[in-house]
Amino acid sequence: MTAIRISGGQVHDPANNVDGEVRDVCLQDGTVVAEVGPHARQIDARGMVVMPGGVDIHAHIAGPKVNAARKLSPDERRDDPLDRTEVLRSGTGGLVPSTFVTGYRYSLLGYTTVVEAAAPPLAARHVLSELRDTPMIDKAFLILMGNNQVLFELIRESGGSVSPRLRDAVAWWLQATGGYGVKLVNPGGVELWKQRNGHVDSLDDEVAGFGVTPRQVLEAIGGAVHELGLPHPVHIHANNLGVAGNADTTLDTMRTLAGRQAHFAHLQFHSYGGKPGGQPRSRAPELLEFLGTHPEITADVGQVMFGPAVTMTADAQVSARLRDLTGGKWINHDTEVETGCGIVPYTYRAGNYVHALQWGIGLELFLLGQDPWQVMLSTDHPNGGSFLSYPKLIRLLMDRDYREDQMGRANQRAIRRTALPDGLEREYTLNEIAIITRAAPARRLGLRDKGHLGIGADADVTIYHDRADREEMFATPRYVIKGGELAVEDGDLRRAGDGLLLSSHAAFDPDVSQVLAPLFEERYTVAFEHYPVRDPALREPARIVEAAPR
Amino acid sequence: MRYSPTTELTPITCAGCGVLCDDVTVQRAGDGVRLQPPCGLGAEWFSERVRWAANTPAAMIHGQPASIEAALTRAAELLRGARRPLLHGFAGATVEDARAAIALADRLGALVATDGVDGAWPGAPAVPLRGASTATLGEIRDRSRLVVIWREDPATTHPRLLDRLGFGADGSRSRLGERTLVVVDDRDTATARRADLQLHWTRERDVEALTGLHVLQRGLALPASELEADLGRLLERIDAVPHAAFVHGPGLTGGAGGQRRALALHELVRELCVGRHVVTLALPTAAGITGAQDVLAWQTGYAQNIDLASGHPELVTATAPLATSEGVDVSLCIEGAVDEPPDSVTGIALCSRPAGGVAVSIRTAAAGVEAAGTLHRLDGVPLALQAPLPGDAPTAATLLARLLAEIAP
Repeated sequence: MTAIRISGGQVHDPANNVDGEVRDVCLQDGTVVAEVGPHARQIDARGMVVMPGGVDIHAHIAGPKVNAARKLSPDERRDDPLDRTEVLRSGTGGLVPSTFVTGYRYSLLGYTTVVEAAAPPLAARHVLSELRDTPMIDKAFLILMGNNQVLFELIRESGGSVSPRLRDAVAWWLQATGGYGVKLVNPGGVELWKQRNGHVDSLDDEVAGFGVTPRQVLEAIGGAVHELGLPHPVHIHANNLGVAGNADTTLDTMRTLAGRQAHFAHLQFHSYGGKPGGQPRSRAPELLEFLGTHPEITADVGQVMFGPAVTMTADAQVSARLRDLTGGKWINHDTEVETGCGIVPYTYRAGNYVHALQWGIGLELFLLGQDPWQVMLSTDHPNGGSFLSYPKLIRLLMDRDYREDQMGRANQRAIRRTALPDGLEREYTLNEIAIITRAAPARRLGLRDKGHLGIGADADVTIYHDRADREEMFATPRYVIKGGELAVEDGDLRRAGDGLLLSSHAAFDPDVSQVLAPLFEERYTVAFEHYPVRDPALREPARIVEAAPR
Repeated sequence: MRYSPTTELTPITCAGCGVLCDDVTVQRAGDGVRLQPPCGLGAEWFSERVRWAANTPAAMIHGQPASIEAALTRAAELLRGARRPLLHGFAGATVEDARAAIALADRLGALVATDGVDGAWPGAPAVPLRGASTATLGEIRDRSRLVVIWREDPATTHPRLLDRLGFGADGSRSRLGERTLVVVDDRDTATARRADLQLHWTRERDVEALTGLHVLQRGLALPASELEADLGRLLERIDAVPHAAFVHGPGLTGGAGGQRRALALHELVRELCVGRHVVTLALPTAAGITGAQDVLAWQTGYAQNIDLASGHPELVTATAPLATSEGVDVSLCIEGAVDEPPDSVTGIALCSRPAGGVAVSIRTAAAGVEAAGTLHRLDGVPLALQAPLPGDAPTAATLLARLLAEIAP
């Protein structure tokens, strides 16, 4: 492998308390090292900004849901083709790019690790196949467990608390699928939706036919993940996404999980005041106040960006609402035993009250939060906007004048109902950007070799020109180094490596199969023995992160 | 191939049709095999692949036996010299085959057709126009009290589908208890004979029927029509249940007007979803098609048919099979049914079934019999195929990777 010395750059490595120091970074054999020999390749980074490779903690890039979105909108990508070259595969872009283009464009943006945040375990083989065709980046996926009927049975058996059997089942599922972590989407609510288009009003509503409540699902599975010591805590998409007044549900969910490690996805969509059916208002400050006293809980924002998006979610009920709202294209897909899925193309308009409020709430979460390690950058790609809009979002955070200009273009009634007009002067520093885009996500994912540039870290490095226009700066890195190899130079992809699959592993009692097999037989149309993904070709090259049981 | 008379292989995934039953045991029976649970189509599918493996030369060039290496070299020469290559077939292709095929097509700048280049035109897809509501088999089995089969005969084409959906051949129903099977078809089919209600209008009246149901569902009056009574009976049954499913396929979507008929179905289902849960299930023409189209979608952004000649994928919205497209000079069939290509086209076949009338053919290991792999079930669920009788033949994926290496070293 190549040895590289990046010399003279302004290094932002917040995990190691390096804030803009001018120093060299040495890479060899795929890792950061203290020194390299005289024959190492030299990258002159004087006047440039050096950061670890970006880490996206929450995006939707692979699997049947993403692929259905591709099929739904062929017209959307007609004008955004990518030609094949000697080293690159062809493809198409748009809001839901083809797999190769997804990998290339993340890499061109300086990101080196991405998490697919919602995969049906039953479709793991499909997810893994797509991820194999997503080059350049290391990737992981979270498996959906919040509406799993088999787990409901185990939770009911245990009276709603964590049991050894449930812990074993969660660990078994991760091993069976190659998943990295556990995602709960609208726990209990998706099953109610599939039963009778129902929904959850309260965390104590019973899921008909199963004798469990959303709160029990949160406590039992969240507790199991906590006790297993998985590298990433339970990843929550709370109930009542998008509904006015849902901040009550979000706070109740946070209180339910308080004391245990938990990560809340796209918090912006769960921060609304008002009454269901009425106009929402912001309650972001209350949620931030709770986070301020509960360091065990983190979140990513799910920022809305004005312009086109594609909403895609396991929370199919949300998609049905958007179907009725837009009258446009809509996909619904019910996955037996496990989850639902909905897809609706959507456009966020600056002049629209709700959209402008969503935009403002996202910025509130970023700008009012006290600890950037706790509130991370995401657009819930492509739900709030494409990952390609991250540079623009970074500029909104770093450039107050630009932000105020953009605020002036948005619905003023909505903006007035946020804290944004109240002299919110904060501008993110480069170090804070490094925290919310790489250091914090990597730490929260339990990826000890990522998100920093300490000795032994993965040699994933992004080097930017230090431009006053932060959008331009973060859109076009000068260099991106992945695994110690130069991947991007001056906006051109130099190579097309595969990237690793990141999986986690927790020990479990193999006898749990005897418990699961009859439940599978009763509920699934796939044989228990055929459910696990065993093919090495799908699961490698992999890095397996071991759990640390609590 | 090693095959002892006493061999019993259990359990395997059968790739005889898109249902991909993965609870199947295989026993030898005379010259063929018997499956448990019984399935004539599956048994024939398995038996003929065993026969092909025993009786088909490893490779042929212009009808003469050849080594695989020589055939690969010739195939690479033909593809390298092709002005307008076409990759097609995929009826029995695995996901791995499809991934390798599209990689090769990308390098060649080829046309790719995943929906068949022979037989009935399956029709342009309607999903990109408005979307669809769909579900996996288990969702339909465990929730839909009403299943409407629209102009298909799954009892023949997908023999265990009704059983998998909870309508046992012996008249038993799933744990949902009382359920209703409705068939819309003017033919007397094996499926129709199992229906609780058959509605007999002809295909030409499908749009009228689907839009009529839509009108009635909205509480509006239907213009006087002889369909009125039938539509009323169907809607009454739909109204009586919280969950319903429509099963459809080329009988609805194929041929002239197919896209319009499919769109009418999806619009109806969308309307019915207000107040209840209604889903659709599409029957593919072959087991490999669902997975191949999924791979095409994730690798290129487009499902069904694409053209890579410009250097990037472009959607082909053909209204006729691509094999008849002007300009195709070399066709590469991957795990499909190989018909003799037109005189202007030089054919190459990488297929487990015997291929006649092509310049080069290489026999591949049949996925699900001789080779493992992945297929996507008709509802999109990915399933592993096993290799109960592993043989020496290479998979199509292996050969395609070799061709790519030859063409773009």
